Amino acid sequence: MQNSNFRLWIMAILVYAFLYIPLIIVVVYSFNDSKLNTEWVGFTLYWYEVLFNNKEMLTAAGNSLIIAFSASFLATILGTMAGLAIHRYKLKVLPVIVFAPVAMPEILLGVSLLLFFLQILNLTLGMVSIIIAHTTFCIGFVAIIVRSRLQGMDWSILEAARDLGASPMQCFRLITLPLIMPAVIAGALMSFTLSIDDFVITFFTKGVGEPILPVQIYTMIKVAVTPEVNAISTLLMLLTLVMIIIATRLDSSMLRNGGVNGR
Amino acid sequence: MVANSCYLIMFKVMLIFLTLFLASCTDQGGKLGSTIREENILYLFNWNNYIAPKTVKRFEQSCNCKLSQNYYSDNEEMLAKLAAGAAGYDLIVPTGNAMDSLIRQGVLKPLNKSLLSNFKNIHSAHLNTKFDPGNIYSVPYAYTLTLLGFNQEKIHDLGLPVNTWAIIFEPKYLKKIKGRVTVLDSQRELMAAALKYLGYSVNDTNEEHWNQAKEMIIRAKPYWAAFSNTSYIRELASGNLWVAHGYSNDMYQAELDAQRSGREFTINYSTPNEGGVLSLDSMVLHQSGARADLAHQFINFMLDGENSAELTNLIGSGNPNINALKFIEPNIVNNKAIFPDENLFARLEMLQDFDQNQRRLLNRIWTEVKLR
Amino acid sequence: MNNENIIGDRVKKWLIVGPPLFFLLIFFVVPSLIMFVTSLRLPGEFGGLAPLVAPVGEVGGGYGLTLEAYKFLLSNTLYAEVFLKSFGVAAVTTLICLMLAYPLALLISRSRKRFQNLMVLLVVLPFASNFLIRIYAWMIILGPESAVSHLINTILGVLGIAPVTLLFSPFAVLVGMVYVHLPFMILPLYTNLEKHDSVLLDAAQDLGASSWQRFWKITWPMSLPGALAGSALVFIPVLGMFAIPEMLGGTGDILIGNLIKDQFLGSRDWPFGSTLSIMLTLAVLAIAGLTAWITRRMGGMKYAE
Repeated sequence: MQNSNFRLWIMAILVYAFLYIPLIIVVVYSFNDSKLNTEWVGFTLYWYEVLFNNKEMLTAAGNSLIIAFSASFLATILGTMAGLAIHRYKLKVLPVIVFAPVAMPEILLGVSLLLFFLQILNLTLGMVSIIIAHTTFCIGFVAIIVRSRLQGMDWSILEAARDLGASPMQCFRLITLPLIMPAVIAGALMSFTLSIDDFVITFFTKGVGEPILPVQIYTMIKVAVTPEVNAISTLLMLLTLVMIIIATRLDSSMLRNGGVNGR
Repeated sequence: MVANSCYLIMFKVMLIFLTLFLASCTDQGGKLGSTIREENILYLFNWNNYIAPKTVKRFEQSCNCKLSQNYYSDNEEMLAKLAAGAAGYDLIVPTGNAMDSLIRQGVLKPLNKSLLSNFKNIHSAHLNTKFDPGNIYSVPYAYTLTLLGFNQEKIHDLGLPVNTWAIIFEPKYLKKIKGRVTVLDSQRELMAAALKYLGYSVNDTNEEHWNQAKEMIIRAKPYWAAFSNTSYIRELASGNLWVAHGYSNDMYQAELDAQRSGREFTINYSTPNEGGVLSLDSMVLHQSGARADLAHQFINFMLDGENSAELTNLIGSGNPNINALKFIEPNIVNNKAIFPDENLFARLEMLQDFDQNQRRLLNRIWTEVKLR
Repeated sequence: MNNENIIGDRVKKWLIVGPPLFFLLIFFVVPSLIMFVTSLRLPGEFGGLAPLVAPVGEVGGGYGLTLEAYKFLLSNTLYAEVFLKSFGVAAVTTLICLMLAYPLALLISRSRKRFQNLMVLLVVLPFASNFLIRIYAWMIILGPESAVSHLINTILGVLGIAPVTLLFSPFAVLVGMVYVHLPFMILPLYTNLEKHDSVLLDAAQDLGASSWQRFWKITWPMSLPGALAGSALVFIPVLGMFAIPEMLGGTGDILIGNLIKDQFLGSRDWPFGSTLSIMLTLAVLAIAGLTAWITRRMGGMKYAE
């Protein structure tokens, strides 16, 4: 048992290294005093300076934040409802259309929404189209987290409350809601993270007008790569890191159950 | 704990409403399709690097307005975005075939020539194109040629011909420069070069001819280092590449870079004898733009010889403006590869837009070229 | 009073089922149907789509519904090749992910409970970084000027082999795919392995089974649902990827996702792009269905979702 554990440990460490080293390189080179990402020259905050002076990047960051807030707000509400509904009732249709967007390749969602917005709604692509698009795939995520939380709960307390004469509304407000609140918030934070990071769906539904952060990064990488990209990457990583840590603090089971079917 | 969670939710809700409120105040535009404009902004949809920064500044001062720019790096991208509903641009600078498409779609506003006192500066050779006879919608802006750029000394040493497309299509030449040559990553451009070499027009739509060209391209592909739209400039200038299929203004840049880095070789560039593609970019007014007045001001401003020359001096593009010639650096003006003489001009063709079935077919050929 | 309750219950049910249901009907189901219908239409002359109905007074073809896009798709083996290639890449990626993920998942599941959450968090964190950043990181590592490239080419040089470019190659695409999707494989595997009862393994050990036998005859079969779930979670997204081949791959490394993107943002051929998308959807449904079927047949540990 000891031997095999040792072998496992070696492989595990290698895999962890594989996961982290590329990101560490990105972060380290964001402080590199050189235009190229090849060797370490010296420490500098220059690229962060350039970043903060980059008007377009700042607008993009602002837009992404607005979208993330809006989309996670909507998705949390709708996703919580969906999670409750799926747990409570035997539904045929809702589970399918809630979980499908989560499992499908993003390009399909992006393309179908693009066609939908242009043909049916005749909507000029912009912030609203992106918010709707992000909400659509985040709902499933929130629903999964809320639902697995509901599944893991002890419902005898609810029965006890009913026996004591509490109305369904009271039960929900005073018992269910507070108990699932960590999952709801975790879902909200995850939606926020997903929305800020999303590239594919945003790419198709964004139109031409406003800059959005991931697409901005993409353009930077394609046109002229400078360590400015490293700088914005590092900052983004920091933000999402904080979000995820808070989310898992709130609902540690979310990692295993919620993380499973989503991103 | 209940209280805490409630507060957290309320806080989040307030935060969201605050951001939404702020957003609508500053109005990024595009919300629900409306485009509210601030005073005096001209929206320009232009190529990357296709206007000199000091020209922009001078224009903004002269019109007391702001120029807001959005960019694209090829016509297809611009057309696809417009087809996908991008709106609000006053001015666009499409190449001939893209402009062809826009005119036929009826999305351009006709020009008010009375506001364009400098219109007469344009050389007649660039007016009255097939796409826009009478120049109802467009004013020529700049042009480039698609041609071959090469490391003069290296190619001379290898004894290879530089005045024919054969150098990038024929294995007998290619094997001497294997891995040292790139072609443009563009369906139309590469096809055009192949068709020209085979003796056809760049706008030939005969499927037989296309298949011929396709076979030739696939045969030559193993010798090419890559399909490249921009990196070839750097690679030519650094000596990694010896031959590149590219644009005249990019070659100008490469030669400049090579000189500045003190390289021992020179980058030369010319249109092969078989002929090549001429890309004439023109300024047009999109119907969704709000400030036709500012747009006309901009056009007239750019029609002034000195302003127009600034771009040419900066990037080495061709200039259709007669008045500009005296402001352009001599080495550019006299460069036949940038300013073709009549002889060469006769061998150049402009690309025309294909219809949807042809585009679909060409796309499949291009996929095959990439895959094989 | 019973009737009131029933109606009240009904209303309550629709109050929470309604909003998400309608939202997703409008913004997910309908767009998917639109995509299907678009695949049956003709491309517009300037891009986009031709009108469904001929305007009043006009005659001639060029309108309405047609199977032309599908015929075009099948008229040449080219597209089948791209699909096969995408399947191949997805399969290889899934396999590599499985091999890399398994030891880690196993280790986490056998660690003390205190550490398990932390270790899982450590797995999820890199995934919290932006998707593009993770690809960009590999562009740096595999670039021609990087330390890794120099190292490998020096070794190859010693062996007398010509230097290779790591970036812009199928190898780079695979590395990128594996890197981005590895957490999807680790998590379901871990969730499954965590539920294994060590009693079984102890009993087997008492009966004289070697560690390899214990793994192969007990652990592996019981972990199959988890492995399958993880495989589906890797296989399906990889099928539709385009950013990774575009940024890390060479000119020939195009997959289905790239083709689809090209149709919409390049040649303006919406019907054909939709056709390709429908084919991709069918492939995804097939894989999902297959996975569900196999899982059901295996019984054993029922895997949630």
